[in-house]
Amino acid sequence: MTPIRRLIASVATAALLAAGMAGTARADDIPSPATIGTEQYLGGSFTMDRHLDGFDKPLTSNGDFVLSPARGLVWRTLAPFPGTTILDDHGITRIDDQGNRDELARGDQFRQFVELISAVLAGNWQPLEQRFDIAKDTTEQGAWQVILTPKDGSTIQNQISKITATGTDFVENVRLEKPTGDHDAITLSDQSLQSLPLPPEFAALLTGTGQ
Amino acid sequence: MALRATLWALCLIAMAVFTAWQLRGGHTGIDADILSLIGQENAAPNAQQSDIATVRHLLANDGQQAIFMLSHSDRDALETAATDFTGRIAALDGTQGITLPGHNNDRFADLMALYGPHANSLLSPADREKLANGKAETLYRRALQNLYSPATTLSSQSLKQDPFALLPAFLSDLGTKLGTGNDIITHGGQFYLPVMASLSPDLRSSGNDQRWVSAANAALQSITDATPGLSTAKTGQIFFAVAEATRAQSDVQRIAIIATIGILVMIGLVFYSALPLLGALLVVGSGLLAGLAAVVAIFPAIHAIALVFGATMIGISVDYALHYLVLPSNAGSPVDRLRKIRPGLSLGLLTSVIGFGALSLSPTQLLSQIAVYSVAGLVAAYCSVLFLLPLIPARDVRPSSPIRKLHDGLQVALGKTFAPIRVRLIASGAIIITLALAAFLIPGNNDIRQFGHGNDSLISDAGKIADILGLGGSPVFIRIDGTDPQTRLETGEAIRDALAPLIMDNRLGGMIGLSDLIPSIARQTENRDLVTNGLYDRFGAALSDQLPVRITAPDKDADYLVPDDNTARTLPEITRLHSGGSDIIRLRNATDIDAIRNALTDIQNVTLINPSTAISNQFAAYRLWAWIALGGALCVAAILAVLRYGLQTGICVFAAPAGAILFAVLGGYAFDIAQSFFTTMALFLVFAIGADYVLFLAESRNETHDDDTRLAVLLSLISSVLAFGLLATSSVPLVRDIGSVIAIGLIGAWFLAFWMTAPTKHEQTQNQRGQE
Repeated sequence: MTPIRRLIASVATAALLAAGMAGTARADDIPSPATIGTEQYLGGSFTMDRHLDGFDKPLTSNGDFVLSPARGLVWRTLAPFPGTTILDDHGITRIDDQGNRDELARGDQFRQFVELISAVLAGNWQPLEQRFDIAKDTTEQGAWQVILTPKDGSTIQNQISKITATGTDFVENVRLEKPTGDHDAITLSDQSLQSLPLPPEFAALLTGTGQ
Repeated sequence: MALRATLWALCLIAMAVFTAWQLRGGHTGIDADILSLIGQENAAPNAQQSDIATVRHLLANDGQQAIFMLSHSDRDALETAATDFTGRIAALDGTQGITLPGHNNDRFADLMALYGPHANSLLSPADREKLANGKAETLYRRALQNLYSPATTLSSQSLKQDPFALLPAFLSDLGTKLGTGNDIITHGGQFYLPVMASLSPDLRSSGNDQRWVSAANAALQSITDATPGLSTAKTGQIFFAVAEATRAQSDVQRIAIIATIGILVMIGLVFYSALPLLGALLVVGSGLLAGLAAVVAIFPAIHAIALVFGATMIGISVDYALHYLVLPSNAGSPVDRLRKIRPGLSLGLLTSVIGFGALSLSPTQLLSQIAVYSVAGLVAAYCSVLFLLPLIPARDVRPSSPIRKLHDGLQVALGKTFAPIRVRLIASGAIIITLALAAFLIPGNNDIRQFGHGNDSLISDAGKIADILGLGGSPVFIRIDGTDPQTRLETGEAIRDALAPLIMDNRLGGMIGLSDLIPSIARQTENRDLVTNGLYDRFGAALSDQLPVRITAPDKDADYLVPDDNTARTLPEITRLHSGGSDIIRLRNATDIDAIRNALTDIQNVTLINPSTAISNQFAAYRLWAWIALGGALCVAAILAVLRYGLQTGICVFAAPAGAILFAVLGGYAFDIAQSFFTTMALFLVFAIGADYVLFLAESRNETHDDDTRLAVLLSLISSVLAFGLLATSSVPLVRDIGSVIAIGLIGAWFLAFWMTAPTKHEQTQNQRGQE
């Protein structure tokens, strides 16, 4: 019955992995992606349009994020409603604007998520090849494009049907398609690599001291 | 004579064909499962399910699961090994399904289809508490955040059914209640990955369990060899059962071989011929065959324990054969020789039939099967003595036989112990009184755990797995009775409320019941009201503003989620939470049983059940029945003996088998042998064989074949003690106890049979005058 927790984790993993990994998809004619060292973190802004099947307008949100291979990821929504999602070794936690924490998933299995992201950012595709068929291409604008399709029999097939990511130095757009007909379109911007330590407010969240 | 022998031989052949057809054709099953031994009473219709029936149902369910725990310091290596191992186990004949962490997400769609339409009726305890305490705004904010979170299960469908995202919280809480087992666990720097295999229900009863366990062990060995650093553990009833059966089988085979060789040597040393041996085998074989045919004809399935006990009749039926075979060839024609022993043989049979017949009056199928097997087998052995043995050429006991010389020496020694009739009567009275006192005063020990040998490696593995999965503590569970399913669900909810404080302070690791998966209609109605008043009325409009859909309050008249066939298909866990007409609450890591019992005091129709206690109580009830039947058989034997031999001699004759039983009971007590149901059953054999000894001697007393009968009884004693005494060397406590009690009892039976039937001084004088 833990499927709900695992499902949440799977969806989050798939979506955010796509965001992270696409930035490193390399083909011979694609500039090398910026590599995030273990002493660095990637920060930036996002806009997410959530398209629900049968509904005319998407649910749009925006905010900022921080990704540290060593520490995890903080996804902070600023509008329309403030809220933070944290993915780290402890699991997945959501914090609302009142500071109320909601632990969606907990356990060691989420350590793998951070490890996978780190591997991808280091240019190591092997962990993803176990779960996805990976197709690489370039767009007309000269950006690279990576299409991830869950392999047959992969359990993630139940939640994700396709992930498309494009970018140049970093991932810039991610489209996450679901078997229900819904899809999320994520745009990442203002990204930059910084050296650790993380800004205090993010560091506190990732170490759990912010609770 | 030849005609009767032919007809009887045809009967035996018909029985053999019928039995083979029944067994090989699958018309009658042989059940080797220890669980089948218990809880098969003929309960009154509509009666509340007994504790033992519930235990049996749950254990049978649990018995269809095997758990493997793989561990490694490297997660990837662990997962690779687990994937390989899972494939091997899944391919085994007898594996029904495999559960691996992270490999059951495909259930999610089914779960959402079941629960989705009822989302507004299902609340996690935390959400319910917030709504009840006026903290609905927290849930509203969570719903808003869920709309925009990257980690969400939100979909167009879920938004329509559950705009406030209540269902994920309910399911997440349910996952916690169900406990671990579906996750990779980190403990002490190691990763632990549980692999759960569900087994075919008929795997154990079909006799394929040994093959499955061997193949599973080979698979474990294979991945261990292929993955340096991998360690494994396994647990499940199937492993314990196979280990126990293998050990018992090995012991019994060894003992049977030694005993058979011993009996062969004994008969060879007495007759210097194989013909008497053939006669003994014919009698014993026909008894075993007829007993098997009878149970196969009457019962749809027979239990291995009934077969084992029935087969121990060999100790009785060999008496019949030896009783005839020792008669010298010059004692007359076969018919004349039969005539000499027929009264004793008939009385011996009658006594044994009464003894075993009394067992059939018990309400337990197991005892009925033993009774039918024994009675039919003894009647057939008796018929074989009458119809077949006369056709076998007689062979005389050789005067030079060492056993004959042993017999003569023992007769001299025994002669010195003989006492006057008055002393024997006093001794008889003492035996009867002491036996009655012993039956009441010597405490029984029916703890199921003492019957098996135990396997240190498996016990260690089970402990490790329980620790890792948090399944330690007492294996108690709670049964909720009641005819109305909804009332039972409400009771389940009351129990959760009562035990929640114990979970909070870790006196109880966790619990799961049917009402956790399917709340009662009363609870669902309350939830709808809370959700409607707390969320939809207050925040519905605000949430609608954020969504491209209009949110409407839940329909209070909508259908409720109820435990029906559809629910059971989606939630197979339900079968583990329901038994007969009762609901079951399973507890995890229950360390404070008294606190649990106290918490349940005020809740009606609730029973806290400890499986091992329930099973032990059941065996205690069996033991009581066995004693009652034994007492009844002794009473009937006493009446028959008095009618046959008069008051004084009759009491002495009766006192011999009664004394043998007392000897066995006191001997067992002195040697610290547990007084269990099984040792009580062994007393039936002591009684039956002891009765044979004394009746044979009583009937031949003052007859010309008296000495032959004494020799026959000695030979019977040697063969029986050889067989049962060797059982006492078994490493399986159950087998060892039975063998020890019978061996001790038979020695007592032999001595008392001689002592109680020894000629009085008056008779000796008359005999001497007659000889003069």
